[in-house]
Amino acid sequence: MATKKKQQNMQEIAIAPKKPSKREKNPHDKKRLTKRRVREWLYGYLFLSPWIIGVIIFFVCSMVTSLNYSVHKIIFDNGVQLQPLEFWYKNYVDVFTLETDLPTTLGTFTISLVLQLPIIISFSLIIAMLLNSKIRCRSLFRMIFFLPVIIATGPVMTMLTAQGVATVPMMSDGSLTVLLGGLPAFIAEPITELFNSLILILWNSGIQILIFLSGLQKVSTTMYEAAKIDGANGWESFWKITLPILKPIILLNSVYTVVALATGGTNEIIELIYSATYLTPWTKGYSYGMAFSWIYTAIIAVILIVVFLLLKEKSDKKVKYEKRLVTLR
Amino acid sequence: MAVGGTKVNPKKFETSQIPLYVYLLPLAVLMGAPIVYIICHAFKPMDELFAFPPKFFVSHPSLINFQNLMQQAAASTVPFSRYVFNSLVVTAAVLVLAILISTMAAFALSKMRFRLKNIMMEINNLALMFVATAVVIPRYLTISTIGILDTWLAHILPLIAMPVCLFLIKQFMDQVPDSLLEAAQLEGAGSFTIYLKIILPMVKPAIATGCILTFQQVWNNTETSNLFTSTESIRTLAFYMNTLSGVGTVQGQGMAAAAALIMFVPNLVLFIISQSSVMNTMAHSGLK
Repeated sequence: MATKKKQQNMQEIAIAPKKPSKREKNPHDKKRLTKRRVREWLYGYLFLSPWIIGVIIFFVCSMVTSLNYSVHKIIFDNGVQLQPLEFWYKNYVDVFTLETDLPTTLGTFTISLVLQLPIIISFSLIIAMLLNSKIRCRSLFRMIFFLPVIIATGPVMTMLTAQGVATVPMMSDGSLTVLLGGLPAFIAEPITELFNSLILILWNSGIQILIFLSGLQKVSTTMYEAAKIDGANGWESFWKITLPILKPIILLNSVYTVVALATGGTNEIIELIYSATYLTPWTKGYSYGMAFSWIYTAIIAVILIVVFLLLKEKSDKKVKYEKRLVTLR
Repeated sequence: MAVGGTKVNPKKFETSQIPLYVYLLPLAVLMGAPIVYIICHAFKPMDELFAFPPKFFVSHPSLINFQNLMQQAAASTVPFSRYVFNSLVVTAAVLVLAILISTMAAFALSKMRFRLKNIMMEINNLALMFVATAVVIPRYLTISTIGILDTWLAHILPLIAMPVCLFLIKQFMDQVPDSLLEAAQLEGAGSFTIYLKIILPMVKPAIATGCILTFQQVWNNTETSNLFTSTESIRTLAFYMNTLSGVGTVQGQGMAAAAALIMFVPNLVLFIISQSSVMNTMAHSGLK
């Protein structure tokens, strides 16, 4: 017995020092600076360098300046002069006290975002799948579905909406108001707005369709054939093949949609920021507008984090863990 | 070759396609409305432009709006072709540089391991979210400090960093299998070879989408002309077209409609060119 235990101990001791030596050889170990890793770093920074330079000059500088402005009072007098505020976060407090419309505007925006996002994503996915199937005049259809997005950004759209082209005729005759009569205003308002701008939403989803289409190109047809042989119908292969493969694209599209809706020119909060910055220089002014936009950026960030958490791949952690196991062996 | 119905791209109309057309055609009519409208609107004579109730289609097409536009352009100090030339040069430069920078950065961020990688990606995401109105004045200050105010570079440099483009292309590169790159590495390919020969062909659809996005932003951009230049001869076509619609006269409305059509046509051409590369990527998909 005793000797057997000793033997076991011996074996353990014999195995024990082996482990770290194996780990040292592992190129994925973060602490070791091997020649190869240094090379990889260099190449990484080499490829990134033009982007880094651009970002530092045009983005980081501007961000830092705007952050600096947001905690000062600005006077445009022979260039820009900065004066200290009573306390550094005064502008931020002011945004919450002066902007009385902000909570309702923000609430309406969030609700309409929650309503619009699934519509845009599912509509563009359906259209992309239709456009990806084998039909004649495919490229003509693709063009028709994508091109409105180009016009939608221009002044033509304001002309079109003014003429009532962009509304569904059925919706405007009051039947919807009757239907939604029982709901409180802050819910009913985004819904009526949603139906009023339904066509506008569809016109604006060209980029999303395009992104989905390029994602769909990756799905190999052999996979569908294999599923068909195993007895899956179209509905099943959509849920089991198309959707899982498209999941990262759906996340990408959702992020794009949120950003486009939140920072687009027609957004009401952007208009609030614009008018605060440029139209009311005496009560609010530039540094106030800066503080406002920082707050708004934080709000968008929170929305995006929620989207990320909802749509990120759940198996991600597991895959990483398995990968690590493979490299350790 | 397979027989009859199993062809990938059917030459003849088949009954199995009917349901698809049932969905697609009404939607296409709906989606095509603004395109038809913008074309019709440009050819409307004065009385139809301001008709009440407004008409969707044009009944007596005329070229009067284009003639007015040409007259106006001939009367201005800077020839019309100059604006077109400026726009073309600026757009081409931004397109090439932006795609080059975004794909290189996306390759590094997606497929290489180095320090601060995640922080870089976060900075890009922050740039994606930030409100453009807020950085107008700091950006002006940056540009005047570098000393490129009122030059060509003022049009080009602020626009080549496209956070949306980088995000899009990076997300597509994440899906390129690592084993493919490892295989190339074993064969002796360096980072640049992998970038040129493997990564770029494989993310072609994303690049085409990025091209369309960038083009749209640059071609329609009036901000750089407005803020960073003061010489009329280096301003862009979008800016000039914008001033026309701002004239406010009756003729101005018609000219704006014609201008909108002129601004729209290059978008159409670029889309037709790039969409074939969005669609023909299955052949290059590499690993099985």
